[in-house]
Amino acid sequence: MASLTDHLSDLVEDADAVLLFSPTSSFYGRFEDGDTDIIVVAPDNDIDAETFVELPLPFDNVKDRIRFGIEGAIDADLVSEGDEVACIASVFDGGSDAVIRVTVDETIHTGIYDLFVNSRAEPSVIRDVFEVAIELGQKGQKGKPVGALFVVGDAGKVMNKSRSLSYNPFEKSHVHVGDPIVNVMLKEFSRLDGAFIISDSGKIVSAYRYLEPGAEGVDIPKGLGARHMAGGAITQDTNATAIVLSESDGLVRAFKAGKLVLEIDPEEY
Amino acid sequence: MSAAPTALTEFVATVPDRIWLALLVLAFGLVAAFVVGVINRRLLTRAGVPEVIEGTAFERTAREFDTSTVHILAKLSSYFIIAVAIIVALTVADIQYLEQFWAEVAAFLPQLFVAVLVLIVGVVIGDKAELLVAERLRGVKLPELGVLPPLVKYSVVYVAALIALGQIGVQTLALVVLLAAYAFAVVLFAALATKDLVASAAAGVFLLLQQPYVIGDEVRVAGERGVVQEVDLFVTRIESDGEEHVVPNHSVFRDGIVLIRD
Repeated sequence: MASLTDHLSDLVEDADAVLLFSPTSSFYGRFEDGDTDIIVVAPDNDIDAETFVELPLPFDNVKDRIRFGIEGAIDADLVSEGDEVACIASVFDGGSDAVIRVTVDETIHTGIYDLFVNSRAEPSVIRDVFEVAIELGQKGQKGKPVGALFVVGDAGKVMNKSRSLSYNPFEKSHVHVGDPIVNVMLKEFSRLDGAFIISDSGKIVSAYRYLEPGAEGVDIPKGLGARHMAGGAITQDTNATAIVLSESDGLVRAFKAGKLVLEIDPEEY
Repeated sequence: MSAAPTALTEFVATVPDRIWLALLVLAFGLVAAFVVGVINRRLLTRAGVPEVIEGTAFERTAREFDTSTVHILAKLSSYFIIAVAIIVALTVADIQYLEQFWAEVAAFLPQLFVAVLVLIVGVVIGDKAELLVAERLRGVKLPELGVLPPLVKYSVVYVAALIALGQIGVQTLALVVLLAAYAFAVVLFAALATKDLVASAAAGVFLLLQQPYVIGDEVRVAGERGVVQEVDLFVTRIESDGEEHVVPNHSVFRDGIVLIRD
């Protein structure tokens, strides 16, 4: 038993900071008096923590969650490269059940935090689109797997780099992602070919768009299809973010600046 | 064996009928007060009042004294009915002394009841308004905005106090004048501060309904040329060569729109 405790104390020894993922307020209170820096990473700051990183999606993948938290902490100058941090998170449902030690270096920097916080579009819009894509990936269109391509942000430029395949069903309408009814509409329209274009503030500008970006030098993993290529390429040409639901493997991928930033399996949500 | 009933009959006979009637009224009043109190409490609870006023200062103070706003309101109605019952009983009993006094109290009592009710409701609404405004402003971390929530609260409480005072017949003309001056200042200030915003919103409604330009069009408005990125109620965002111009909608409307086609 002693060796187990030793191992645990080795894990947390001289940690420069502690990241608490969605702690309860009593759990947070136990840490408050210690001398290490406490950083709370949670969807809402309802426990009034001093240093707080907002988590836009409840990343089921603990690695993604920790990466997001650390990148957010780097962005807020709470930790810097070379620091050792201890993360206390919940891996299974329920309370904080895991202690993970992470060294902050560039490998942690995948751009997940950047994707949400430093995109042109608002973080909540990106989150809403992610949620639609994830839901679509889970349920499909009438039980069949379906693919979809959402281009979020920088809509003016994206519109000028794409052409219409058919009449735009969202013309003269003022609908925004995140409204429940709109999510149903998006699902219905997902059987259409082409991309959805969504503005910085979440307004659905158009469906049925054929993207025409220059695809030179786009570096996306081999094996992904034309939809991913189009999505990746448009983010290189514009400041938009592309969120793609793959029809073949059912994964939701996000591209930014021509690079694959995040990969989520909808079935895990 | 027969002594006790006889004594009781004699006792009943000596006490005048109207005293019995008065006691009956009193008993009835007590029962009614209790029933109304319970019904009131249930009604208020069912109407969701406790959840709505959760966290207000008044409710918290009430909790410190081991009670709650709903209880206080229910008790208040009970006490009112008891007081009325006592006065009716006294009248029925025909107790001569201080008749004038009781008559005035009887007339004054409902007013006092309404005044206290208005005051409590006013304080609770004031607290709630303060909470709502504070919550809304919590995201904006500006210390100067800290004066707003109490201001809202005391405005509401002030109006409630005015109504309550008016109810019990206190001269409130000076206070009403003060309120009018305050309201006028607020309206004037708001009108001045939001003049452009209101104009922009009016133009924005037109732009959103008619859509003379949509996202992706190249336009020149208010001297700025570029691609439309966003149109909302107040502003239009136009981007060109890495510069994003945020143009208020009223100036879009005033200066006209040039659609650039090529």
